[in-house]
Amino acid sequence: MKHGFYFKIASQNIRNNMRLYFPRILTEAGLLGCFYIMITLSLDQRLSKALGGAYLSAFMGFGAVVIGLLSLILILYVNSFLMKRRRSDYGLYNVLGLEKRHIIRVLFTESLITSLVSVLAGLLFGMLFYKASSLLICRLFHADAVAGFYYLSAPTLAIAAVIFIGMDFFAFAVNSVSIMRLKPVEMLSDRHAGEREPKIKWFVLIAGVLSLGAGYAIALTVRSPLSALLLFFAAVILVIIGTYCLFVTGTTFILKCLKKNKRFYYDRRHMPAVSGLLFRMKQNAVGLASIAILATGVLVMISTTVSLYSGVQDTVEANYPQQLYLSAYQKDGGEIRQISFDELNRIVMEASEDNGVEIRSIENTRMLIVHYLTRGNALLTKQEFEGSWSPDELTSAIYITEDTYQQLRGQTYYSFDEQNLDLNGDEIAFCRIMSTVHDLGDAPKTLTIGGKEYRVKHLLSYFPVSSNYGNVVDVVGIVVADETVLNGIYLAQKEAYGENASEYATRIAVTFADEEAMKAAGTDLEHDIVNRLKIAFPGELSYTLDTKWESLHNTLDMYSTFLFLGILLGFVCLFSTILIIYYKQISEGYEDRERFQIMEKIGMEAREVRQTISSQLVLTFFLPLITAAVHTVFAFPILLKLLKILMLSNTMLFISCTLITLAVFAAVYTLVYLLTARTYYKIVH
Amino acid sequence: MEILKVTDLKKTYTSRMGGAQVQALKGVTFTVDSGEYVAIMGESGSGKTTLLNILAALDEPTSGSVELDGKRLDTVKENELAAFRRNNLGFVFQEFNLLDTFTLRDNILLPLVLGQMSVREMEGRLQEVTSMLGIKDLLNKYPYEVSGGQKQRAAAARAIITNPRLILADEPTGALDSQSSAELLRVFSRMNENGQTILMVTHSVDAASHANRVLFIRDGVVFHQLFRGHASNEELYKKISDTLTMLRTGGDRR
Ligand SMILES: Nc1ncnc2c1ncn2[C@@H]1O[C@H](COP(=O)(O)OP(=O)(O)OP(=O)(O)O)[C@@H](O)[C@H]1O
Ligand SMILES: [Mg+2]
Repeated sequence: MKHGFYFKIASQNIRNNMRLYFPRILTEAGLLGCFYIMITLSLDQRLSKALGGAYLSAFMGFGAVVIGLLSLILILYVNSFLMKRRRSDYGLYNVLGLEKRHIIRVLFTESLITSLVSVLAGLLFGMLFYKASSLLICRLFHADAVAGFYYLSAPTLAIAAVIFIGMDFFAFAVNSVSIMRLKPVEMLSDRHAGEREPKIKWFVLIAGVLSLGAGYAIALTVRSPLSALLLFFAAVILVIIGTYCLFVTGTTFILKCLKKNKRFYYDRRHMPAVSGLLFRMKQNAVGLASIAILATGVLVMISTTVSLYSGVQDTVEANYPQQLYLSAYQKDGGEIRQISFDELNRIVMEASEDNGVEIRSIENTRMLIVHYLTRGNALLTKQEFEGSWSPDELTSAIYITEDTYQQLRGQTYYSFDEQNLDLNGDEIAFCRIMSTVHDLGDAPKTLTIGGKEYRVKHLLSYFPVSSNYGNVVDVVGIVVADETVLNGIYLAQKEAYGENASEYATRIAVTFADEEAMKAAGTDLEHDIVNRLKIAFPGELSYTLDTKWESLHNTLDMYSTFLFLGILLGFVCLFSTILIIYYKQISEGYEDRERFQIMEKIGMEAREVRQTISSQLVLTFFLPLITAAVHTVFAFPILLKLLKILMLSNTMLFISCTLITLAVFAAVYTLVYLLTARTYYKIVH
Repeated sequence: MEILKVTDLKKTYTSRMGGAQVQALKGVTFTVDSGEYVAIMGESGSGKTTLLNILAALDEPTSGSVELDGKRLDTVKENELAAFRRNNLGFVFQEFNLLDTFTLRDNILLPLVLGQMSVREMEGRLQEVTSMLGIKDLLNKYPYEVSGGQKQRAAAARAIITNPRLILADEPTGALDSQSSAELLRVFSRMNENGQTILMVTHSVDAASHANRVLFIRDGVVFHQLFRGHASNEELYKKISDTLTMLRTGGDRR
């Protein structure tokens, strides 16, 4: 037979089944477009250079892999759905005398046409939207869009095309195998003949309840950001397992209970819907659970990335009360030699003068930072600690002497605290700088450090040494009487930790008169300071120079990348959700059509049929959305802790971001529902 | 007493393209008395299903009228039709039309549930009808778990459980083997003896020979009818066969 013949049949088939093929083509094109954008962004040197975003290319590469995997899953899902619908057509060809290899040729031609159309459309879509998304990225990064720059490379286009054509070919191969294996009768036969009433699988039900409960319990009870980080993944897996199990059996269980209640069940409003749902759930449980999980993913991703991004200024502000932090020491053989404040101050002041920036104030701090485990009212080194410990018990203590306190206290503009602490050797002043867990209580009376008990004479509301040590563990500030006491604590931890013991830190923190000007002059100043340090202290020098503007830049880079990735992946998830919903509606529409025709013949009013249809639709449709919302609510506490690691502690911001995302998502979801419900009604009637 | 009165019923199908018209019914007139058991016979395409659909108010005639218990069907409002159908008519479909998501029990109860009867009353009726049809033990099974004859009996149970004024059956034995047909026909006869009025379309001479009266439809009109009188089933069978032969050889109306 001629080629033209197959082409004619295949294109005819596709045209006749446009309702099935059009969304399929659209899906593949959309996914391919996103995939293309991702890999192009990760490879576009000019963009990386323009933005200086080191994270960008790595994260986009990651995003491309995620989209690639998701595409494979979706293409196979859509394919299996299409094949189910088309199988009887192929069976008919077989009966009418086409051999199987001819049928496979028809199938191949169909696949080839859809694949080529999808890939071309996808590449076009990708190229068009690449410009738009690079502009978006520049906007997110607060960078000026490089005018007229456009990135187009043949290899990128080829990679995307080859990968997606490969996926299509894989789907075709799966189909051919299934056609080769089936007998014509099986191809022709009705799909839902011999469908059984679903049974409750108790084991699955219990496993589902347990794992969902465990996942929620973790999310609710996790106490510190660090354990949140460690347990988050486990909680996610547990919740996913729980969701699948409960969608598969939990819904059946509830419907069966409803059915057992005769008064409820034998009611014109309930009977058709309940029994319809019972069967429908069985077929759809997995699809619905997937929707619920994808939707949760969208919600979490978008709300966290948006709040990180919009909270970036706050975050940096909170962590950098001053604009430049410098500490340095020299190593002479094994000996550590601190560099004096005067030297550091002089270097910074000279460098500032040369660069034409004005300093408002400099804060000099000599402090000791030691990491402990807490138990009761004691700060213990790991050597003192008996038994196992959890990340919740980690606490860092910042020690300063009363003299330092006095000196720094004078520079801060505002404080309720006592001016004169007047501490004895066994007295301390205590401040909770960063608290996540509260093991020490809000107002401890005494505190045991290194085996020695101290009386807490003052509770401070403000600690003059700003901590930019992160929000991961508890941080407390402790003021001790004098150098002797401080040294005692130093020696105690030195003995306990040995090699890993902490050293005294001398740090100067600088506030500049004009913060805005520093964004421009900052880099030069930094170079200048480092050069001067190296000249003044030749030999082995160790220093840290940490500036607010640098941190703002880095954080913004990272969060912009997160946000962009979140938005793109969020869209892909949404897209997948819509697709699954669409195909679900169509497949159910065809199956329900006959059922409702019968009911109408038996004396069900058209209005009631519509009601039954819509109550079934609404339930199956909004169950995943509700599940996703519940998941998100339960995930909230653990997410909040995780965000603390990323330095975001603005709870209100996160709450409002989550609520807005939820509202937008629900609106889009409802819109999709209304649109697909129309198609469904059209099929059923 | 007259339960059904059909007067000069006409039905013309117009194909969607506005092309050829098919006159399925060209003026059907007949009456059915309460408690009668009427069989309708005729060649394929003679308009039997069309007629039955109009009687069940599933379709509308082009002209002419149908009166059920003195009430003209075309005066029943659109939104009351479903309830009217449910309360007055029992329809046994050729392909059973049982719902595959319902057990036989739920299938049979469906019309009562739609009529909002109390659970207690429903159970009573169910008991009565299913023991008469001999499917009491199958109630918890799904349609795909029972035989064709059992399905047909369940469909019949669903049609009679509302105590309809009139039972309409479209080729109810069409899909059954002789054994199952015989079973179903016995049930119909029993129901008729209990006073139900039955109107049954059939191709089977055997099935028709169970009726009191046989209407023959040809080319969209009632061409001929036979009354049982005091004849036995076998005698009626012979008469029907003769009539069919006569019709086929193109005889005129007698
Ligand atoms: N929906 C329709 N549109 C157009 N023509 C129709 C339609 N339904 C039936 N007809 C035509 O009307 C005529 C009567 O059809 P009907 O189904 O009533 O026949 P029947 O006596 O039930 O035949 P059978 O014994 O084969 O079931 C036939 O010629 C048929 O082609
Ligand atoms: Mg017919």
